[in-house]
Amino acid sequence: MTSLSDVLDGLVSDVDAVFLFSPNGSFHEQFGGIENVAVVGAENTVDAETFVELPIPFADVQDRIRFGIEGAMDDGLVGEGDVVACVGSLFADDADFVSRVRVDESMRSGIYDLFTNSRADPAVISDVFEVALELGRKGQKGKPVGALFVVGDAGKVMNKSRPLSYNPFEKSHVHVGDPIVNVMLKEFSRLDGAFVISDSGKIVSAYRYLEPSAEGVDIPKGLGARHMAGGAITRDTNATAIVLSESDGLVRAFKSGELILELDPEAY
Amino acid sequence: MVGPLQLALDRLFGTVSVRLWLAIGIVAAGVIAAYAVMGVTSRLLDRIGVVETIEGTSFERTTNEFGTSTARIITQLSGAFTLLVAVFLAVTVADLRFADLFWGTVAVFLPRLFAALVVLVVGVVVADKVELLVSERLRGVKLPEIGLIPLLAKYSVLFVAVLIALSQIGVAVLALIVLLGAYALALIVLTALATKDLLASGTAGVYLLLHQPYSIGDEVTIGGRHGIVQEVDLLVTRIENDGKEYVVPNRTVLQDGIVRVRDA
Repeated sequence: MTSLSDVLDGLVSDVDAVFLFSPNGSFHEQFGGIENVAVVGAENTVDAETFVELPIPFADVQDRIRFGIEGAMDDGLVGEGDVVACVGSLFADDADFVSRVRVDESMRSGIYDLFTNSRADPAVISDVFEVALELGRKGQKGKPVGALFVVGDAGKVMNKSRPLSYNPFEKSHVHVGDPIVNVMLKEFSRLDGAFVISDSGKIVSAYRYLEPSAEGVDIPKGLGARHMAGGAITRDTNATAIVLSESDGLVRAFKSGELILELDPEAY
Repeated sequence: MVGPLQLALDRLFGTVSVRLWLAIGIVAAGVIAAYAVMGVTSRLLDRIGVVETIEGTSFERTTNEFGTSTARIITQLSGAFTLLVAVFLAVTVADLRFADLFWGTVAVFLPRLFAALVVLVVGVVVADKVELLVSERLRGVKLPEIGLIPLLAKYSVLFVAVLIALSQIGVAVLALIVLLGAYALALIVLTALATKDLLASGTAGVYLLLHQPYSIGDEVTIGGRHGIVQEVDLLVTRIENDGKEYVVPNRTVLQDGIVRVRDA
């Protein structure tokens, strides 16, 4: 005769590490006596010793866990073959699920790398993601819009692109994450061209026509010129491209010419 | 009919002058006024948020250990002061000549003592609060020695408070003021020395950001460093060339000038 807690015991037996996803203080304290506890979340609110930062609040729990484990792998907290118990919240704010995950090298999708090992600040990249997701959700006056953000390595990007029009950000000091930026970018996204954003988040230019060599850039079929330009510029430079598709409304991120991440704005 | 008892009473009250009666009345009124002042003070302190603001400071914690609180100490001080003023008034009215000299000094000294005490209490609380605020600000900096800075700020405030309090009650504080002056001067000189380069770079950075003689993506040579501008901020300009990133302080931009490389 097995009881429910026996089943739960089986889930958490012999785990190499425990990952707490955005725990509250008192819940985290309960894990005081357990070894290899890591906190995964947007901010280290509980002063945990080991902490993996989540730059975007992944709505999908699979993505969240995968990102957390990828980050932990990069930090050397866990390795291939380790078994991790993930505790997090699915419906309410309190912890309400436990998941047993085996760490696998194939989980390394480069998403974590996209944020932490890019030239640009991780905060800048997640800010741009937020702007792109917001733009995708709301669109321009209800109509879907497309946008292309090239983040980081701005000097090189500027030299590999041409202005399409007068640069509205000339002699301005606007940074992504400033409250006014969402409105400005929404307006400027009506016109064609890419936004160029520097490592520290300064918006260098809008309306840039990117001129990378698109040769040998391998992006999925069905994506248009905007994605091609975004993907190609990341191969020529150390920049990261974040593209909001006008046709299917998804936000995609490219690095080193490869598609790394695909997010649906409606899910966030 | 006039009885012997009434006679005795009359004689007793007759010796007590009207002034004395007035004085007793003033003292009684003083007690009531003191209670009123205490009530008003404590409510005022509560209303303007003093109680919440000073919560958690070490002075507040110490007073709590003694079963009181900072607000209550200030309330009691104000009450005691009111009462003393009333007593003094009463003594003057009662015309007790023998005490003139004594009360004259006290009348001058008491308000000062009261002010000194209040300054001291406020100083201690503000010093604690400053320490808390500064350490909060520096919490992100994980350095053991950083704990010295909040402490320094706390004792600076405390020193000034003690100085004011002492000067209120007429203690010679000239030496201490000289000490304070020397301390302030040292602080200013050291800060100026330490931030000389930062200030120079900062002012140059303001010029660069306002006029943008070069911007991100331009090919420039600054102080012998040649490359593409990647970032311009208040203090430094980042120039990159062939995988090398030069971080050039903006000071050199104005000192050495800029060469902008334009395509032929």
